[in-house]
Amino acid sequence: MANVVDAAGEPIPTSSVLMAAAKHIEINCMPENVEFLKCKKKDPNPEKCLDKGRQATRCALGLLKDLYQRCKEPMEGYAGCMYYHTNEFDLCRKQQQAFEKACPLQ
Amino acid sequence: MTEAVIRNKPGMASVKDMPLLQDGPPPGGFAPVRYARRIPNKGPSAIAIFLGAFGAFSYGMYQVGQGNKIRRALKEEKYAARRAILPVLQAEEDERFVKDWKKYLEYEAEVMKDVPGWKVGENVYNSGRWMPPATGELRPEVW
Repeated sequence: MANVVDAAGEPIPTSSVLMAAAKHIEINCMPENVEFLKCKKKDPNPEKCLDKGRQATRCALGLLKDLYQRCKEPMEGYAGCMYYHTNEFDLCRKQQQAFEKACPLQ
Repeated sequence: MTEAVIRNKPGMASVKDMPLLQDGPPPGGFAPVRYARRIPNKGPSAIAIFLGAFGAFSYGMYQVGQGNKIRRALKEEKYAARRAILPVLQAEEDERFVKDWKKYLEYEAEVMKDVPGWKVGENVYNSGRWMPPATGELRPEVW
């Protein structure tokens, strides 16, 4: 739900967590995502794009874990606010500023 | 009887000689009453009114445009976030689908193993492209 990681420390990719980290995913996982989308465009068969899909998932989950380790409190606050307001960016500006100040987009 | 008492004039012979008690104008008459129109012709001219209305309208439409720009930026932010996480979600769904599809192919082979000339699985369309299975239900166990 509003937990970013479960008991074992693995990130839980719920919609609020993913939307909270979406800008970071967009910048840091761009090559894997683009490769996956190109593969899908070429052939929409799911069996043909499994490996690229796994790369994209691995990149995104690794990024979530890294973000959680670097700035736990702001990320949890932001993901919680996203969960409360069902992924409305405009209602969570304060937490978004705090999160991006702690873990800047690069 | 009371009229005679009120309007009594000492020494009148009969009721017909009573003095008149009327409501009338004051001596010298009333003051003159103005009844002519007097609508002043000052104020903004037609051109001024038109330009004022046009100016208010343009200012309002300009504000509408600014507001639309802001709203479009918000929507763009939301759509960009969705585009960013799309591959993760699609990859998860692909994994699940492949697992279920393999199970379905085994089931189909099991059911049709006695039918001669039945190529199990992949006997859908002839165009060569992959199409999602058109069973009418997306995920029967969920619905």
